[in-house]
Amino acid sequence: MTTSRRTFVKGSAATAAAASAPGLLRAQTAPSAARTLRVVLHGDLKIFDPIWTTANMTGNHGLLIYDTLFGMDDKRIPQPQMVDKWGVSDDKLTYTFTLRDGLKFHDGQAVTSADVVASVRRWAARDGAAQHLFKRVADTPIKDDKTFQIVLRERYGLVLDALGKLETNLPVIMRKLDAETDPNQQVTTKVGSGPFIFNETESRSGQRYVYDKNGAYVPRKEAATGIAGGKIAKVDRVIIDNMADEQTAVAALKAGEIDFYEVPPIDLLDQLEGDKNIRLAVLNEGGNVGMCRLNWLHPPFDKVEARQAMLYLIKQDDILKAVFGNPKYYRTCGSLFGCTGLMQSDVNTDWFKAGQNIPKARELFQRAGYDGRPVVILQATNIAFMNNASLLVAQWLKEAGVNAELAASDWGAVVTRRAVKKPVAEGGWNIFITWGSGEGFDNPIGFVAHTANGEAGWFGWPKDDLHEKLRDDWAMATSLDERKAIARKLQENAWNYVPMALLGQWAPPVAMRANVSGFIPIPAHVPFWNVEKA
Amino acid sequence: MLAFIIRRLLTTVLVMAIVAAFIFLLLHLSPGDPAAIIVGDNATQIQIDAVRKQLGLDDPLALQFVRWLLGVCRGDLGISIFSHEPVVKLITQRIEPTLSLATTTLLLAVTIAVSFGVIAAWRVGTWVDRVVMVLSVVSFSVPVFVVGYLLIYLFSIKLGWLPVQGYAPLTQGLIVWVRHLILPSIALGLAYVALIARITRTAMLDVLSEDYIRTARAKGVATGPVLMKHALKNAGVPIVTVIGIGVALLIGGVVITETVFNIPGVGRLVVDAISQRDYPIIQGVTLIFSGVYVIVNLLVDLSYAALDPRIRY
Repeated sequence: MTTSRRTFVKGSAATAAAASAPGLLRAQTAPSAARTLRVVLHGDLKIFDPIWTTANMTGNHGLLIYDTLFGMDDKRIPQPQMVDKWGVSDDKLTYTFTLRDGLKFHDGQAVTSADVVASVRRWAARDGAAQHLFKRVADTPIKDDKTFQIVLRERYGLVLDALGKLETNLPVIMRKLDAETDPNQQVTTKVGSGPFIFNETESRSGQRYVYDKNGAYVPRKEAATGIAGGKIAKVDRVIIDNMADEQTAVAALKAGEIDFYEVPPIDLLDQLEGDKNIRLAVLNEGGNVGMCRLNWLHPPFDKVEARQAMLYLIKQDDILKAVFGNPKYYRTCGSLFGCTGLMQSDVNTDWFKAGQNIPKARELFQRAGYDGRPVVILQATNIAFMNNASLLVAQWLKEAGVNAELAASDWGAVVTRRAVKKPVAEGGWNIFITWGSGEGFDNPIGFVAHTANGEAGWFGWPKDDLHEKLRDDWAMATSLDERKAIARKLQENAWNYVPMALLGQWAPPVAMRANVSGFIPIPAHVPFWNVEKA
Repeated sequence: MLAFIIRRLLTTVLVMAIVAAFIFLLLHLSPGDPAAIIVGDNATQIQIDAVRKQLGLDDPLALQFVRWLLGVCRGDLGISIFSHEPVVKLITQRIEPTLSLATTTLLLAVTIAVSFGVIAAWRVGTWVDRVVMVLSVVSFSVPVFVVGYLLIYLFSIKLGWLPVQGYAPLTQGLIVWVRHLILPSIALGLAYVALIARITRTAMLDVLSEDYIRTARAKGVATGPVLMKHALKNAGVPIVTVIGIGVALLIGGVVITETVFNIPGVGRLVVDAISQRDYPIIQGVTLIFSGVYVIVNLLVDLSYAALDPRIRY
């Protein structure tokens, strides 16, 4: 059989049309590009339960599809979110809450008090701030479908702050069915009552996570502020792309294939600033605060003089410059609570104001009886801040006469070894570097690194009874001024016994296409309500 | 021939069993704790220990290995520690992009490389030969990710002709599928082209010096049939061998290429799993890759019989 040229050309055209048809058809059913926001965040979304994990990526997911009883506004004051009315008894022991009208889960079920109480109890089993509250809770009675109570055994000043907290583990409200999952197991369903609905069909694990606007969501009437106020979805779809390569993500942003990039690499910011189609903005003024955790269980940091030596040893500016380069995006900070929150002060920070003093550090190590044994620093080489800070701290320790050793590995290995309580010779450690959010640092109760309850606490295991008593006092305080006063006492005490050393604070910008606007600046998370594309 | 195939398949099973044991031990004995990574940095040790227990990670190593191995024998590669999805499902979801990339790269690379190798051998000693050889050295020397970034800069950002990243399944249309694969295939294929071109040139030069080629020319056979019909077929054995060996390069390169071009393939799956210590995924993917490599080498061996009638199994 012979085929003419005409037949061949006609056949090829038909084949090409048939091959392209599915793409055309699909394009007609998905929201348009102008109504779709494509974003790349700092990691991949692996866990979908914001009550179960402290991972911030899960917090972002949680804010999209769930809602909370209260939400912190931009002044860090908890505002009612799912709650319509609330009141507290004269003896300050009984809090009564009534839910707003029109709250529905994505499966159409109304949100009821039973869902709320189950969710709050599950959250209380996982979260440090919630656990601190629930030690004082006598009961959580349900009055009717929309009304419930939290009844305390003793007064507690942070009930609403806890219910509206910004930091993970987020106090999101799930269906009772999901909330009754064992707190040690993850909830794998994604049914909330928030402004977006998780699109399971279009999402692909490890690749992209798709959220569609929830047309049935009833936002509050107030303007959006923090994670409070009206959460109005102004795009039809949000797609979170998982893009591991920073260079590729920057290229995708420049080409317009994505609209937002949470963590543009510092060394490429100049390039992005020069592009008129791209805008940089700092959404999270509090950023992160670096910390040098010291192991209290073994020498030399079992001695207070050795820990005090670290305050004189560290030069924050050098570390921050090495990692972030541009001083626009970092600051040195001597406050235990970070330097952008409500609890900051300069109490007992003469060591910080005087600057690095290696001779003084050497003297303090000698007073501590340091005997020349190796001081092991866990160096996470795959994370720039941790890697560079470890190198500098090791160098300064050597200058102070300390036999510093770097144990290089990736962060995953550091996370395993930092849990080891044995001496260094048996696989333990003396120092590891990490960071916490500026928002977290500002909260003596919610932030696990502020605990000082010894081996029951967080890695490093600092112990100070006065610190723990002051934390309790802070939680019981009933006014902001009272909390600030207690925070000053906490700091005064902390820089005497030294739970850890601080490495500075940084707040790098996010990058977005110039036609995107409406991002609400909040710490730790990226909310997508209120965002629109021109 | 059938006995040969059966013997080789049995050997494949043995190889995969050794790989399974090796990779299991390597993962579980190296530092890192998936439980600590799952619960987040601010979790307490009590929470981490609870997750370890729940995931069975504090069971004896031998028990964990036997449990996993029994699952593999049933076709179950386990459940991802992080996503709680079956590893088989995750691999199935990701296999199309990887196969697409590997296939287009292989076709592109073999077509270009063999052509260049033949031309270089035909024009040995001339500027054509030298250009081909220099290009081969450069292609082999420049890392895949550097080539990738350069291609993205030129064709995606400056010219705007092709997408920066991502993958479009074939069901979305042939044209969009091809557009997303052009740059990654070039980036991944360059080193492969270099390797095959050089071997093709060398093998062709050996064959072109044989008496039967001189006889064919003396009989008046045109250059084309001499090169393609008489010489290339006889040079085929080493070329096919290096194509088979190069599959290992391809597998390794796919991992990097998928990361640079954000292609959601099996390579990306395993890279993400390694940083998170998602043991079942790492074990499952490594096992499959090792099986693929062994099977490819079996196919290469079988192809010798087709290329050279003197070879019989």
